[in-house]
Formats: sequence, C-alpha cells, structure tokens
Amino acid sequence: MTRQKALILAVLLAALPATAPAAQQGSAPPVAGAATLAEGQLLRGRFEQERFLKGFQAPLKSGGTFLLAPGLGLIWRTETPFAVVTVMSPGGFLQEAQGQETMRMPAARLPFMARLYGMMSGALTGDWAALSDIFSVTREDGGPGQPWRLRLEPLKPGDPNMPVRSITVSGTRFVETLEVMKPEGDRDRITLLDQRLSTTAPTAEEARLLARPGAP
Amino acid sequence: MLRLAALLWLALVVLAGGYMASRLHDGLTFRTDLLALLPREEQDPVLQRANDAVAGALSRRVVALVGAPSRDAARTAAAGIEADLSATGLLLPAGGRLDPESLKRLGALYYPHRRGLLAEDDRTLLEAGRGEDVAMKALAQVFGVGGVADASLLRGDPFLLLPGFFAGLPFPLSRLSLDEGMLTAVEEGVTWILVTGTLAGAPFALDVQERFVGAFDASVERLRAAQPDLRVKRLGAVFFAEAGSRTAIQEASTLATLSTLGAMGLILLVFRRATPLLHSLLALGVGLLVGFSGSLALFGELHVAALLFGSSLIGVAVDYSLHYSATMFDRSPATPAERLAHVFPSILLGLLTSLIGYAMLAVAPFPGLRQIAVFSILGLSAAFLTVVLWLPRLDRAKPLRHGATLLRTAAGLWGFWSDARRRPLHILLAVAAVTVLAMGAMRFRADDDVRRMQALNPALVAEQAAIQSMIGATTAPQFLLIEGADDEAALRRGEAVAPLLARLKREGVLSGYQMPAAFVPSAERQRANQALVRTALEQPFLARQRAALGMPGEEGGQAGGSGEVLTLERALAGEAVPLLRELVLAPGLHVATLQGLARPDRLRAELAGVPGVRLVDPTADFSALLAKYRERALLLTGLSAVGMFLALAWRLGRRRALRAMLPPLASVLLTVALLALIGHAFNFFHAMALVLVLSIGVDYAIFCAESGEEHRAVTMLAVWLATLTTLLSFGLLAASVVPAVHSFGATMLIGMAFAFFLAPLAAPDRQKSLPAVGTTGGELV
Repeated sequence: MTRQKALILAVLLAALPATAPAAQQGSAPPVAGAATLAEGQLLRGRFEQERFLKGFQAPLKSGGTFLLAPGLGLIWRTETPFAVVTVMSPGGFLQEAQGQETMRMPAARLPFMARLYGMMSGALTGDWAALSDIFSVTREDGGPGQPWRLRLEPLKPGDPNMPVRSITVSGTRFVETLEVMKPEGDRDRITLLDQRLSTTAPTAEEARLLARPGAP
Repeated sequence: MLRLAALLWLALVVLAGGYMASRLHDGLTFRTDLLALLPREEQDPVLQRANDAVAGALSRRVVALVGAPSRDAARTAAAGIEADLSATGLLLPAGGRLDPESLKRLGALYYPHRRGLLAEDDRTLLEAGRGEDVAMKALAQVFGVGGVADASLLRGDPFLLLPGFFAGLPFPLSRLSLDEGMLTAVEEGVTWILVTGTLAGAPFALDVQERFVGAFDASVERLRAAQPDLRVKRLGAVFFAEAGSRTAIQEASTLATLSTLGAMGLILLVFRRATPLLHSLLALGVGLLVGFSGSLALFGELHVAALLFGSSLIGVAVDYSLHYSATMFDRSPATPAERLAHVFPSILLGLLTSLIGYAMLAVAPFPGLRQIAVFSILGLSAAFLTVVLWLPRLDRAKPLRHGATLLRTAAGLWGFWSDARRRPLHILLAVAAVTVLAMGAMRFRADDDVRRMQALNPALVAEQAAIQSMIGATTAPQFLLIEGADDEAALRRGEAVAPLLARLKREGVLSGYQMPAAFVPSAERQRANQALVRTALEQPFLARQRAALGMPGEEGGQAGGSGEVLTLERALAGEAVPLLRELVLAPGLHVATLQGLARPDRLRAELAGVPGVRLVDPTADFSALLAKYRERALLLTGLSAVGMFLALAWRLGRRRALRAMLPPLASVLLTVALLALIGHAFNFFHAMALVLVLSIGVDYAIFCAESGEEHRAVTMLAVWLATLTTLLSFGLLAASVVPAVHSFGATMLIGMAFAFFLAPLAAPDRQKSLPAVGTTGGELV
C-alpha cells in the first residue's frame, strides 16, 4: 500500500528523468544504417552508466545488461556496484535491489507509464511522432556506416514535470550512447555495448520478470 | 362582554402580527442543525464543533470524473468543465492536490527538519536494526534507473529519508495518479480525469444548488456537443441536494396545489357559498400567525422541524371552524350565537384534549418536541378563540336548505354502527381488527436509519459508487476525534493509535486514514527519530554511504539538517501541507479522516480503551437521535391518551369517557398494525403522525359523543368534512417519494380513515348493544 501512495510523488520526481532515457535505449532511429526491431525480435546488450552529480568528486558508475523485447518490455539489470533490476513493461514499472522490491508502479494506476511505453514502442517501430509530442528532434545523419546523432529537447522546457533539459542519442547500427542533461546540472551518460539481435524467445526467468510489473 | 373579548383578541392578534412583521423585517433565520434537537445535557460542544467542521468540509466537496476514449479529449473536457465551474465563482480549488508547486512548498517546509521525519517503513527497519537495508534502498535509487536524487538532495540526505517520508504521506485518492498535472485513471480503454474542488457556499442553499449544478450541466452539454462519447460522473452533496430539492419542490407544488384546490373545492361544494371557506382560512391563518410569533417570542428562534410539524398540528384547527360552519345545515333557524352554543362544548373539549396531548410533548426534555408543542398549543388556542369570538360576529349566513341528501349520506355511517341488524357484520369487523392487530404486532419492526428516510437520486447513487470504485474509497462521513491538552499531546495520541489503525487497515476494516501526526510528527517522535537516525543509520553507515556515493568532503558526523523540530503551528502557518488545515480544528483538537470504513462497529470497539480518541459517526448519531425521538413520541402519545381520558372523564364521566377514547385508541393501534402489515418499518415520522391521529381522532369522537340526537346528521357531516380536508392535506403526503414524508402521510391516511370510520362508536347508544370492536380498544386504555 505504501508503494501505491508513493505514486504521485514517485511519478513526479522519479519516473520521467529515469525512464525517458530508458525509452531511448533500444530505439532504432530511422536514420541511415540503423537497425529496426520487429515484433518477436530481442535486443540484448551490456550497458555502462555514469551519473555525474554536480559537485561530487567522481561520477557514480554502474554497469550491467539489458534486454529489450518489443511488445513485452525492457529489463535493465544493474550488476555493479550491486544488483538492481528494473523492469519496464506495458504493465508498469518495477525495481528490485538485492532481491528486495523497492518500487512498483502498475500502469493501470499510472497512465503515464502506458504512454511512455507507447512512446517507446513507437520509437522501436520507427515512429518518431510518438516522441515529437514531447520533444523536438534534430538529427545529424552521418551517412552510410557513419555514426549519427539525434538531439531531443523538450517542447516545454519550463514544465516542472519535465526534469530533462536535453537528450543526445548517437549510434551507427544501434543506439550506442545516450546523454541526458538535467536542469540542476546533473547528467547521465549511458553507453550501450555488445548489442545483438536475436529471434529466440526470452528465457523463463526473463518472461517472469517482464510479467511482474503488471501483476497484482 | 363577548364583544370586548373579541376586540381584545383582535388587539392580541394585531400585536402578534406586528411582532412577526418586525422579526421578518430583521431577517428571520431558522435553526437547521440537527444537534439542536438533542436534549441539552447530551450535547457535547466539542463534538458539535468537530461535527460541523468535518461534515461541513465533507458536504462542500465536489468530485467529478470526466471520461473519454482519447486522453486528449478527456483532458480538454476536464479542463473545460473546471474552467466553467470556476467562472461561476462557486468552485474553489480543492485542498490536498499535489501539483509541482505545492510539492515544492512542501519540500521547503520539511527539508530543514528532515532528520526528525521518517517514513513508517524506514522507522520500522531502523528500529529492527536494519539500517543497512535503508542505505541499500537509497543506493539502488541512485544507481538504478529511477533517480529520485539529484546532487543537492543527496548531499543533504544521502539515505534519501525525506523522499521516503514524502512517499509515505497519507494523501487520499490513492488510485489516481498524476499525468501531466491531472489526476487520471485508465479503465477499459477510457481515460478518466478528476475534476475536484470545494463548493464556495452551502450545498443546501437553493440558489447555490441551482447556479452550480446548472453551470455544471450546461458545461457538460456544451462539451458533449463537440465530443459525443464524453462521460461524466458526479459525486458531492450539492448534486444530491439539488436533485432532492428539485424533486421536493416539484412534489410539494403538486401536492400543495392538489390539497388546496381539493379542500377549497370540497368546502365550496358542500356549503355552496364562500363564507365557510373564508372562516376556515381565517382560523387557520390566525392560528399559524399566533403560533409562529408566540414561539418566536418564547424561544428566540425556531427550529425548522418545529415549524414543519407545528404547522401540521395546527391543521386540526380547521376542524373547529368546519364544525361550526356545518351547523348552518341545522333545520331549526338559529342565530350564529345559538349555533355556536350548539358546538361550543364539543370544540372546547376537543381543544382541551388536544392541548393535553401537545402539553405532554412539551414536558419532554427534547427541545425539538417542546418547540413543536408550544407552537401547536399557541396556534390551536388561537384558532379556537378565533372561531369562538370572531366567527359568529362575522357570520351573516342564513341556514342552508340544500343539504338534505348530504346530511342523509353523512348520517349513513352512524346508521351503520347503531343498526342492530348489522350486528354480524360488526362482529366480523371486530374479528378482522383483532387479526390485524395480532398479525401487525408480529410483523412490527422499527428502523431509525436516517439514510433510509431520505430519497437519494438513484442515478447519482450509481455514479457515486462508480467514482468510489475508480478513485479508491472516498472519505467516510465518520471520523476520529483526537483530543489532547495541547497540540503535542493530541499528536502523541494520534501516534499512539496509528499502529492500531494500521492493523485494522491490513484487516480490511478501513482502507486509509489521515491524521495530523502523519504530516507533522509530535516533537517527541521527531526527537526519537533523530536519535534513531543517528544511532542506527549514521553512526554505522554514513561513512560507507558517502564513499559509495563518492560524496565530496566530510561535513561533520551527520548528514545535515537541524535538530530543531517542526511544529504543527509552523506547518499550518505556511499552508504548505495540503489537508492539514482540515484536520486541525483547534489546538489539541484534531481530526483523523477515514476512507473506506467497512466496519464502523469494529473500529469503535477497538477504540474503546484508547484515551482521547473516539469515533464520531454523524449518521449513526442522528439515527440514534431519531430513535430516541421515536420512543419519546410514542411514550408521550400514550401519556397524552391518559391525560385526554382524565379530561374527558371530568366532563363526561368515566364510562362515557372510556367510550369516547375507544375509537381514537383503536385507530392508533390499528394504524400501527396495518403499517407493519404493509411493510413499513416504524420510525419517528410515523410516531409524530400518530400524535396527530390520536388528537384528531379524539376530536371526532367528542363531536360524536357530545352531539345531541337531533344534531347527529350535522355532526357527521362536519366530521366527514374534517376527515376529507385532513386526508387532502396530510393523506396526500403518502404519495411523496421522500420516505420520511411518505411515512407521515401514510400514517395519516390510514389513521384518519380509521378515526373517521370508528368515530360514531363514541356516542352513547340508544340500543344497549355495544359493537364488539369496543372490547378490543377498551382493554387497551
């Protein structure tokens, strides 16, 4: 119950800055040479995240693996410095730290999550319109085989619900780096590595995780 | 002599009129609060204040859900309705909404005191020595996807305790979530947006209802023209009140028209001239005027219930003037004074018995009943004096010659009872009466639940249920009253009862609660929290947490924040905490609002031993009040009957008095039995009508008992007229959709029919054979 009551606050303070970049991670922009995910395909890979907090000596580094399954959701599995599993699916949002659930937001109680997921799948199928409701998108094509860059800026930068100043996405075949600038001067930098497409189904454990956010 | 008395009476009536006019000029107000009806010694001023404050806030709340298949359409429509309502000036923004601005204010208030503010689950973890879990949870949020923390927050609060406290604040409406500034729920493909606010006016004021609900409906209609699949659900006392008043006004105007036209038509038809009608109106008008102004002078102000019932009781007054007017049908030519002399003994006795009946109401320690009694006694006496002193003087009428058929018909009933050949039928009726009494006694049950005495619009009830299921349980009318010597004491008492409430919440007794201590813990609790954070979290884990976060420089041994506690006074002054203002009535007098209270009885029982905390249930309290009034009214009806019998015995002798009491008593008992048989659960409104049935029934019986043999037909005609006018005015109320009014009307309808039918039994019989029904009633005297 406490979790449910946390929703209002959590959505305001937490969901957007965190999940906005998450929405980008697997996105295959319709730029030259970029891969597009189809339903039934899985994208797996590793990530490294550096969170630069203003005034802190060093960035907070974390790393782990991720799995993106169009239609099913995203599993973001932080392994270092400790285990945190975050699952985003059409059913909602779930976070576990060292085996203990620390946050859960079913989408039924959280329309924003459903919208976010819609945005994400829109991006996956190359439909940038889903994002252009919120962001202005500028792209720099690098030509065939060359890196490209997308710069996303909120359409309403003064909106207190939008604690993101800008997002820069770059990649060649896949998205390779994401940089999220926040209004207070903090920024996140996420690097995606070893990405590969497969057509195998998610493992039983992964399927279970993907189903959990929506579970009662 | 009589002339002087008539003039004196005129002077008195003029005086009453003058007093009335001056009171009206000053602006007359009525007491409408239900607690004013309670015996004085049972009133608790603290409770009353809490009741008024909470019930007032609750009844002004307006909630609507606006739904459409498309999110944008729903949002646009919700914004449209909100704008239209705000434009009326009647909708104030709801407290308790968490927009980014109010969150910022909330943050600014709490941040300096964060060391004393702990979420319930964090506190439990720390008390259990699991500080490491708290630290871990914070790190997960910082490193994982889902960063609550920005640099400045982390520097001041490396364990993220304040966001935890925020998340634990018990704001209601838990099932809705903020979607770009609007509280939203998605259900079966429909996006529902919450529109909520506080009514800037009394929901029971007619003009407020009309303007607000009118604007609401117009707004919905306008939006629906553009968006045909728009759906709107409403919740709020103002909607119910508007629907209720609309029905009541329609109904009242229909019934009033029917009853006025019917009674006037009847009198005109029977007398074929206007004088008797004017006489009746005069007697009634003077009765109301004197009753009203006299009670105002005595009590200072009147309760609206007294006005309502008092006016009804004075209705008996018409019977006196009808009785007098009916003498115009008398064969023997007589002057008005002589005609008055014929009826004077019976109407005087009728008045005396009625006065005795109402005087019994006056001795009860119930302010409401007392006002009703005084109002009626004054009004009835005034009507009597008007009939006796004025009517003969105003009467220029010649005896009526057209009434032969009427009189024959009227006398028919008398014939029915006095005719010995009908004996078998009388016995059959007596058996039927005894059967009805016996069966009614078995089926009798009382029900005082006030909720079943109001007529709630079924469509609105359905919408309310739909809203409640969608947004989560809404605030219950019941609440907890927490009392302490000062705010600190009350906060501590709230904290002491919180674990109990948490347990009951897990057990499903209630679904949520908000108490001031959840927003501002007591100073004692804040200091305990500070100590707990220091020993269970900071001393063992702060250095490690800083290292894990790579935080710059050591800033002393603690994570910052002053040791100063946040006071309730400060939190209230800033208006930063939504809802808090509604929960603090006065220093040391706090309210905890409850949601989804499924088992009030269980909660009340659990709270029995908790000092300074009690459950207040205004609906149940009012139902209990009605039950008390019902019992009291019944008891007094019985006492009145005894009093009336004594008065009659003085005039008629014991035997005849017993006989005269028989028809009204039988009517009262048969009415109760028959009501039970047709499925009515007995309530206060039935009981009040019984007072009237008894008093009118005794009047009829006296008219019959006192009537000389040669006047019987005329007397019966007067009783016919009186019955029909009473049925037209009160019996019609049985058609009301408001259960309370229906109860009153149905009782009158049945009771008057019995009183009329049995009235001739009161007369001394030429034949010695008493109808057998007599024994039934007689035993009960």
